[in-house]
Order: sequence, then structure tokens, then C-alpha cells
Amino acid sequence: MKAIDIIHSEHRALAAVLQALRFLLDEISAGRLQPDPELLGHMIEYITQVPDKLHHPKEDEVLFRVLRERVPATGSLIDKLQADHVEGARHTGQLEAALARYRSEGGPAFAAFETLARGYVDAMTRHIRLEEAELLPLARKGLSAADWAEIDAAFEANRDPWSGPTGEYRALYSRIVNLVPAPYGLGG
Amino acid sequence: MTRRSRKSIWGKRSVTELLKVDKLWAGYGDAVVLEDISFTLEEGGSLALLGRNGMGKTTLLSTLMGAARYRSGTLEFAGKNLAVVPPHGRAHLGLGWVPQERDIFPSLTVEENLTVVACPGPWNLARIYDMFPRLRERRANMGNQLSGGEQQMLAMGRALMLNPRLLLLDEPMEGLAPLIVQELFAIIQRLTEEGGMGVILVEQHARQILPLTRRALVLERGRAVYNGDSETLLRDRALLDSWLGVASH
Repeated sequence: MKAIDIIHSEHRALAAVLQALRFLLDEISAGRLQPDPELLGHMIEYITQVPDKLHHPKEDEVLFRVLRERVPATGSLIDKLQADHVEGARHTGQLEAALARYRSEGGPAFAAFETLARGYVDAMTRHIRLEEAELLPLARKGLSAADWAEIDAAFEANRDPWSGPTGEYRALYSRIVNLVPAPYGLGG
Repeated sequence: MTRRSRKSIWGKRSVTELLKVDKLWAGYGDAVVLEDISFTLEEGGSLALLGRNGMGKTTLLSTLMGAARYRSGTLEFAGKNLAVVPPHGRAHLGLGWVPQERDIFPSLTVEENLTVVACPGPWNLARIYDMFPRLRERRANMGNQLSGGEQQMLAMGRALMLNPRLLLLDEPMEGLAPLIVQELFAIIQRLTEEGGMGVILVEQHARQILPLTRRALVLERGRAVYNGDSETLLRDRALLDSWLGVASH
């Protein structure tokens, strides 16, 4: 079940960025930090690219497909999770647009970005919890060794949640860590 | 302990063996903490040292570094009897230790912290700064001006500047935010995958470090209950849960 380890690993990386984004929004909201468009841009890029380009396609095309076939009772849960994937992609598109507006218009446009960002963090956190608490236990119980061999092989083709096809996400993550202020990151 | 692990303990000694621990008993003062511990680590190998709190993980690292009381058994490093080497001589032999307390020199700059311990070898300032770009940015800051994550990176960088043959990392993620923890895991993965240097890593979160290491040793009440490959342990959910509980996740 290497696929499950990979899903957990990618969830941890994504959850860490989401937690840091929530921290930034709280600090900005409390007046202790000024919005840093560069950092926010990197974070939005990460939560747009990594789930939509690396994480969700593996789930949709491999794990969910096999699970739907082998354990039909998971159908409605998978429908919900796949709807989350579609909604998540739409949401990140809105976030990119809202951040672009803030970059061009300044202060007043931040409130709209913040509302969208908080909504995304909450929705993605719920989504991760739903997958880990409900879907993965059903997958562990319902799939055979042969099923897992097929799923693991597909997941291992791009198993490193840090790198991406050319190492770009690894570098992006490091930039985020270096810019997010302590104690959540290493920035000043 | 599994049959497979016994084979690995008692098997023929390999020419690439870096560390050999056999029937080790150790502790503090009169108190015995470690009982009959046996394992080996090959040159460039990696070992996850696991167990719940208080099971002897840090004591084992401290014994290797000479900070805990060795009582009996074999303790060989690169073919030398480590038990007769004084603590200050073990770093020169090639043991690099990153303790939980980090032990940064507060009145030295980041760069001074790194260079004060430097030994010749492939790890130099440029390579450390390449591995930890944040340290380059903070090179002129004093040790006591660093955040927890920066201190941990400095502690790791300083141990690497010794150019050790074996790096001992004692819960390097302790107390750090998840964003930094994931970054450090990626760095440790680079260290273990690049090989060349042995790594023993103590961590609470087994599922996160087992994919990074080739071998695993699980301690329970000072005794080894698993000594085998990491992959096998990672796949055995029941074993992981029974020895490590929630810490395994």
C-alpha cells in the first residue's frame, strides 16, 4: 500500500502549507503582519499546482477508479471527493484572480482575497480529513493485493510529493518555508 | 525479533560494516537502560531508531557518543573498539551528533558555529549553504538570534561540517512547525539517498521516516523488539501500532 503512504505524505505537505497560510491570514488580520504578495503568490501557486497537477489526478484516475469498481458502496463518497476536486480547482482559480486584483489595486482588495483563502483552507482541510478518516480505511479493507499492486505502481511513477516533474515544486516549497515568518517558517 | 533480523545480526561480518553493536548493556550511573542490544549498520546505510518515549533511543545515541555509561558488549565503529575511545575522541573518529538540545553556540555567528568544528572532507561551507540556503542568509547572525527551525538547520549543518562517517540525529523535528518539518524531512531524504555517510535517525513519527531509511530498530523498555528492513516494518500496520501506537502515524 505504498499509494496510501504517498497520499499521506502529499497530504502532510499540503496541510503544512495550508496551516501556514491560515497563520499568515490571522497575523495580517490582527495587524501584526503586512501582506506579502510574493509569499502569498508562492503559496497560491503551490496549493494550485500540487493538488491539481500531482495529487488529485492520481486519486481520480487510479485509486478512485479501482475502488469504485471493487467496492461499489464507496460510490457516493467518491462522488463527493471528486466534486471537491473540481470545486478546489475552481476555487484556486478564483484565488489567483483575487491575488492579482490585490497586486494591482492594493489594500481594499485584500479582504476579498482573505475571504476566499480562508474558505479554501477550510474546504481543503475538510477534504483531507474525509479522505483519511473514511475513504482510506475503506480502501484498505476492500481492495486486494492485486488491486494495490496496480495502484502502487501508478502512484510510484511520481511518488515524490516534493519535486514535481522537473523539481519545481521542491524549490517552490523551500521558497515558501524561507519566507513564512517564524515560528511557522524560517522568515524574519 | 524476527528470524530475518536475527540473521542480519548474526550473519557474517561484511567488509562495508561501519557500526557493530552486539549484546550492548548501557545506562546512566547504576541504572541500566539498554539491555542486550544488537544491530549493525553498513557504510552509507541508514537506520530509523524507533520506540515510544523513554524506551532508550536517546540513551543508545548517547552511548555511541560516550555520554551514557557503557557497561558491556561490543561497540565497534569502523573496526575500532568505540568503548575505549573517550567522548571527545569520537567526533574525530567520524561520529557526528545532532542532539535534541541542538547545543548551538549562542555567542558565535552562524558561520562561526559552522567553521569552528570543520574537518576536511566533502562537506564544506559552500555545500552546507547549498543544502540550507537559509543559513547563508543568516551567516552573520548570532546563534541566539535564530528561530527554532534555523537552529535545527544549523545544528545539522554543524554536524555535517565534521564530515562524519555516521550522522546521529536525535528527534530533529521536535517542536518545529509542520512546514519546517516537511522541509527537514526532504533534506534528510537527500542525505540518506546520496549515501556515503551513515545516518541513524531517531523520530517519533515512524511512518514518515521509515520510507527514508533502509533499516529499522525498534526499542521497547530498553530491548530491541525489531531489527530488520524499514520496508517490511512499514507494511506491517499491526506491528507498528503495537510497538509505537499513535506515534507510528
